[in-house]
Amino acid sequence: MESKACQALVDEVIKRDLCTFCGACVGLCPYFIAHDGRIVLRDHCDLAQGRCGTFCPRISLDLEEMNKAMFGTPYSWREVGTSKAIFMARSTNGKIKGRAQDAGTVTTLFWFAKDEGFIDSAVMTLFEDKSLPKGVIVSTEEEILACAGSSYVATPTVEAFNRGAQEDDRKKIAFVGTPCQVLALAKMKGSTQEGRNPIGKLQLVIGLFCTWALSHPGFTQFLEREVSNPIIKYDIPPHPANVLQVYTEKKRIDISLEHILPFVRPACQVCHDLTAEFADISVGSGRGEVLEWNTVIVRTPRGMEIVEGAKRKGLIEIREIPKENLARLERASFNKKRRALDRIIQKTGSVDDLLYLKLQAEIARQLLAE
Amino acid sequence: MSQGRKDPLNLIITGVGGQGNILISKLIGEAMLEEGYWVTIGETYGASQRGGSVASHLRISRKTQHGPLTPEGQADIILGLEPVESLRMLGVYGNPTSDVITNIRPIHPMAVAIGEAEYPSLDRIKQGIRELSHEAWYLDASEIAIGLGAPLLTNMVMAGALIGSGLMPVGEEKFERQLKANFEKERLSLNLKAFGLGVSTIRKGKRASHN
Amino acid sequence: MSNIAANAPNTSQLLMGNEAIARGALEAGVGVAAAYPGNPSSEIIATLAQVAKQLNLYVEWAVNEKVALEIAAGASFAGIRAIAAMKQNGLNVALDFLANLNLTGVPSGLVLVVSDDPGGISSTNEQDSRHVAKALDLPLLEPATFQEAKDMAKWAFELSEEIANACLMRSVTRISHARGNVTLGELPHLENQARFDISRRPYASIAATAPKFHERLHQNLSRMSEIYERSPFNWYVGPKSPDLLIVTCGSGWFHSKEAVGILSKENSVGILKLGTTWPLPKGLISRYFLQTPKVLVIEEIDAFLETNLKELSADLTTGRTWTFFGKASGHVNPFGEITPDFIIHAIADILKVNYVSRSVDYQKKSQTIIKESILPRDSQFCAGCPHRTTFWAMKDALRMDGRQGFVVGDIGCYSMGLASTGFSQIKTVHAMGSGMGIASGLGKLNQFGFNQPVLAVCGDSTFFHAVIPALINAIHSQADFLLVVLDNAGTAMTGFQPHPGTDMNAMGAPSPPVDIEKLCQALGVKVMVTDAYDVKETTQKLIDLLRDEGKPRVLICRRECALIRARKENPLYRVRINPDKCIGEDCGCERFCTRVFKCPGLIWDRNTKKVKIDEAVCSGCGVCVEICSQEAIFREANG
Repeated sequence: MESKACQALVDEVIKRDLCTFCGACVGLCPYFIAHDGRIVLRDHCDLAQGRCGTFCPRISLDLEEMNKAMFGTPYSWREVGTSKAIFMARSTNGKIKGRAQDAGTVTTLFWFAKDEGFIDSAVMTLFEDKSLPKGVIVSTEEEILACAGSSYVATPTVEAFNRGAQEDDRKKIAFVGTPCQVLALAKMKGSTQEGRNPIGKLQLVIGLFCTWALSHPGFTQFLEREVSNPIIKYDIPPHPANVLQVYTEKKRIDISLEHILPFVRPACQVCHDLTAEFADISVGSGRGEVLEWNTVIVRTPRGMEIVEGAKRKGLIEIREIPKENLARLERASFNKKRRALDRIIQKTGSVDDLLYLKLQAEIARQLLAE
Repeated sequence: MSQGRKDPLNLIITGVGGQGNILISKLIGEAMLEEGYWVTIGETYGASQRGGSVASHLRISRKTQHGPLTPEGQADIILGLEPVESLRMLGVYGNPTSDVITNIRPIHPMAVAIGEAEYPSLDRIKQGIRELSHEAWYLDASEIAIGLGAPLLTNMVMAGALIGSGLMPVGEEKFERQLKANFEKERLSLNLKAFGLGVSTIRKGKRASHN
Repeated sequence: MSNIAANAPNTSQLLMGNEAIARGALEAGVGVAAAYPGNPSSEIIATLAQVAKQLNLYVEWAVNEKVALEIAAGASFAGIRAIAAMKQNGLNVALDFLANLNLTGVPSGLVLVVSDDPGGISSTNEQDSRHVAKALDLPLLEPATFQEAKDMAKWAFELSEEIANACLMRSVTRISHARGNVTLGELPHLENQARFDISRRPYASIAATAPKFHERLHQNLSRMSEIYERSPFNWYVGPKSPDLLIVTCGSGWFHSKEAVGILSKENSVGILKLGTTWPLPKGLISRYFLQTPKVLVIEEIDAFLETNLKELSADLTTGRTWTFFGKASGHVNPFGEITPDFIIHAIADILKVNYVSRSVDYQKKSQTIIKESILPRDSQFCAGCPHRTTFWAMKDALRMDGRQGFVVGDIGCYSMGLASTGFSQIKTVHAMGSGMGIASGLGKLNQFGFNQPVLAVCGDSTFFHAVIPALINAIHSQADFLLVVLDNAGTAMTGFQPHPGTDMNAMGAPSPPVDIEKLCQALGVKVMVTDAYDVKETTQKLIDLLRDEGKPRVLICRRECALIRARKENPLYRVRINPDKCIGEDCGCERFCTRVFKCPGLIWDRNTKKVKIDEAVCSGCGVCVEICSQEAIFREANG
């Protein structure tokens, strides 16, 4: 029987534990649903090719081709993806800084973009206490601010983009999310799939640095057992802290990462992308002397436009990234790629089968040899 | 040419579940009973009653009571409320001397409704009927019934077509008597109208003679 | 149309076999009638219910067939002639009682009519009920014509009183549901007076008394046999010494007669038609046997008569042997219903004559045309059927639950949950209530590593018929299951008969309904209620209940059958399509509403590549509005 697109997604991605739960396959049609931390195929669609398979970041990922299409340059395995500039930044707005995960850069950039009319809506992830976070599409500054903060739980936020893009009065949409979600959007951009590609409305993508994400309901059930009060925020401070800091209204609880790591989504084990390499702007936390700052990588002209605009208006302040920090970031990024390749080959048993990665075996061998 | 001399006269009234073939088979049967005939009415079903193929088999005789099932190849008249069903019954029970009177409005089975199969064209159906029958009449009974404001009266229009064709050894008056005996005032006039339109339509129309 | 209460002896009507049986019972002065709906028997009691008031009868749709027979027996014990009717499966349910009733006997006429369904056209099995008569030593009658259905039903009461025991009458679909000429007899003018004689020996067989009653039964058999010798229900047509003797009963009579006529073999083939088929009238049969070397037995379903005739022939001390043809020889089909064509071919084969129903050319043409132009018409739920939406919700909930849960079911319209119209959800169907019983078993397999959620479905009618004891069992054993009661307010599949959950009885009078939800609460099981049309709510409730595992749970999905509703009220909504929003075959839909949801009110137009509403079929339930992901279907409330 001819393989249908939806069945390929189930067999090649979901059943092989490669699904990142990014949500790119959901919200386009009635066949896929995101439920309880899983992607569920509720009925079979008969199409041999569909947007689900085309947009999925875990099917047929050709990084070389995508990089050329987006940036016009070859994909770099050694650097932190293609970049125009890398520096530290932080918001000058006290209200934002108080609420934000780190230095409030993302929220500030979104406020700026909205103010200047670059965007009318933003797709973000909203977390509420111990429930599964959800992707939302928002329009006001208050709503954007409410989404500040990482939850570390994998959320199908691209679904919110897919749905939001169908609303007629939303014409310019921004997106902030994890590397896998950003990859899905990049695949969407490169898709020749005719008709109904939501990507037309996407104006700005901010990617967040990500090492791994946690699974629902495993992690959320764990939290319900360990933390009784409502949770306001999480943080994972840099090495060597090795804890997840949980901030409740009353206090901060430190949980050793050793208890948390079992809930890492299996798909994250084979992820190569630390810094969201296909975003307009990638943002992460700072460390050491720049602990109070965000690390920012600008990759595209659009990204540059937004950052420089915000800087000119005094909404963010910028400083250079310490050499040591950049070196460390590049090492971390490369190590994640190597770990991913290693684990993929462990799964398949052969360097010729790299699951979803379209990469020549020779290049893979070279990378692993280093 | 009336089939009236044949004994038993085998009439099959076919359609899709819900079209009301049973009602008109009963009315025709009662009309024949009053004329002193032995009448047996049997029913066959396709895959299911709800939306499936259905047929009433009338075995009409001067001599004796017959069984409720028509033997293969013994159908004399096929009265079809639905075109594919007419062809189906003709295929199973027909012979070169069978006559067919059929409605031309299709009722789509699930396979067609969901887009998995195509309903055969009316031309193809007519071609099939032509190859397997003696004479055939075609009318859009559904259209006539809808025109009266009641698509459910398709069966009554077809009953009129049957009686009006002269193939049965019973005339309009006798059938109308059955309607009067079984329907109350408000439903009666509409049913009489539908019946009458069936009679006049078939008389106006062309019969398709095949051999 | 049919008027079985007509006080018009010697007039003729075109009666259905079941109506004729009902008329026969009336002519015998029956007072009480009880049944559970079951095709092809339902019309017997339904017809009597319609004339109950007029003729002072008591008629009931009982909760199940065992109770129906007990009700009839109760009437008979009090001196009132009574009739119970059921299909072959119903006899199985009543069998425990019948197998004791035969030993106690009855003082007043009690007739049990069983309508078998050869070919299982509307049944889960095709079972030959006649074996029960032989097993229980009860008299068996089989009507072969519509006239006989009436005359036999009437006489059955006399026979029953003659032997002071129940009398079994076996009909089949082709007699019960077909119509034919019936000349009416007289209706009696009697006043039925009920009284139970407390002074007589009890109607009971207990402990070691059974053999004594059993012996009496056998003595009765001889008496019955003698009575049968003179019965007008046995007749012969044909030559004195036929080359082939056909012995037949029931619907076999019409088919045999027609077959012999078509082959023009009236001069060499004789037909012995038996109406009294247990015990056998030995003398009568042996007289005809002695005239022929070959016997062809034609009957529906099992080789019951055939085997009994072979037994009989072995006992005849004539030294002669016969060549028997029938089901054992492969001439008559041992499964599926018999048809005139099977019989014609059987006789032709035995007599070594050639028979061709149509020319080879015509046969080939018709086969080609049928294959090319004919489409199958699959079973499907009606437009607006609440079962469609409930199975849809179950399908979604089980997929979202993700633990490979499944559904076990029983008998009703919703049995179509087996098929694509019900999204192939149901995995087992057997007897009334058996889904619940099976779930009671599956729900205790935790210790063997079983972790798949189990849903049992049943209807409101089967709930009362057989599910209650199984439910109580599962509650007491704390089995892990979810029972979904599909409450569509009636016994829909067989013709919308009332049952203890509805507020009316068989005779149209108001009756206090038994509330399923309250009953479940009283049983101490967690029970929730949902509207079957509210797909979102029903799905969510199912998801929540599936998660609440480890114990018994009940979800009642309420919504009136669309056909029942259509008779009383206007459609809820006027449903329409906005073709601009319909994306049809494109990625994002791929004909979701027609191809997947499959409501017959929605039609896919291959030319415009859009969906449209079939206004003649659409019931106006409005559920498809929730199904469409593009908001291309909209509804307006019907004023």
